[in-house]
Amino acid sequence: MIDRFIHMFEIVGAEGHGGILTVLFIGFVFGAIIQWSRVDKFEKIAGFAMLTDMTVPKLLFFAIGLASIGLYFMIEAGYAHYHVKPILLGGIVIGAILFGIAMAIFGKCPGTGPISVAEGRIDVLVGAIGGIFGGLFFTWAYPWLKTIMGPDYGSLTLPELFEGYESTVVLIYGVALVIVAFAIPNIEYLDPEDHEEKAEI
Amino acid sequence: MPRKISWFTGGILMALLILFTFSIWGADRPIGASTYVPYFAGLIFGLDPEQYEYMKEIEAAGAWEGVMLIGAFLGGLFMSVFVTKTFRFSVLPALWKERKNHSVASRLFWSFTAGFVMIIGARLAGGCTSGHFLSGASQIAVSGLIFGGITMATVIVTGRLFYKKKGE
Repeated sequence: MIDRFIHMFEIVGAEGHGGILTVLFIGFVFGAIIQWSRVDKFEKIAGFAMLTDMTVPKLLFFAIGLASIGLYFMIEAGYAHYHVKPILLGGIVIGAILFGIAMAIFGKCPGTGPISVAEGRIDVLVGAIGGIFGGLFFTWAYPWLKTIMGPDYGSLTLPELFEGYESTVVLIYGVALVIVAFAIPNIEYLDPEDHEEKAEI
Repeated sequence: MPRKISWFTGGILMALLILFTFSIWGADRPIGASTYVPYFAGLIFGLDPEQYEYMKEIEAAGAWEGVMLIGAFLGGLFMSVFVTKTFRFSVLPALWKERKNHSVASRLFWSFTAGFVMIIGARLAGGCTSGHFLSGASQIAVSGLIFGGITMATVIVTGRLFYKKKGE
């Protein structure tokens, strides 16, 4: 197990998607932003499911709106590349339903889970162990599961459907998401056990 | 330093991190955070990539995300101890007590079950909130938009059915 853990760093070092320190840095900043804005909390994620806290959709829509415009022009300039996931329709539909049910009950997702464990949440640690067994089951059952994941409609982006108007589509999409982010009511559940207050900045 | 940042500041910082990660100066790849779970399952249970097709398929992505999530854990630990000062051991979230129950066994049972189902769902879909939503929807990928739409609807329906109404 220790060998394979070390091998994990060797794979990343040899892969060319950022050095080990860069990847650790990206993770550190990811964890810091999420913990600082408190969107790893059950009250924020399950709170969205109960419509008592809208921080998560506001942050997500705002970040995606800004990033979509920036990313499009970075790719045009050659400073980044597309990495579009395929439309494996069966897998996405069934997976998204299971994922949504689990997210509302757990109040975490795979990215926010470890950050919650880092702030001392025992229930999330137990959920993470459940996740490891879920990963084990998926790996074991993959030869069967992949038969229900198709059909594969390939990798497609929305702007590609509007040839000649790609940048217009991206701008409309990005601006629309930013407007949606502002339009979602700014309601928040302030956790008394964390002595939580509204953020000033 | 402020103890908490708003959705607005958090959104700007997250957008910048997405752009950095995608860029050729960063990792030249999207942020993702669910492939590492079966990858870690493989490490812990010693699954041989030669024997398990899925282990072989996810080896590179799983390792990248594994290292990234170690960073995320450290980032979360640093902030919770030094900046937000919210580090404390706890089992029952305040909102769970308000809208579900006061039972530790119930919370742990549902956490474990939801964690199990969540990873199967994410791996069937080929991504999660990070891969399909933050990274996918930022590229305006159709796969990410389908995933995001269905997930959000399911989250709200489940929230309505699973928890008690406010003040009930």
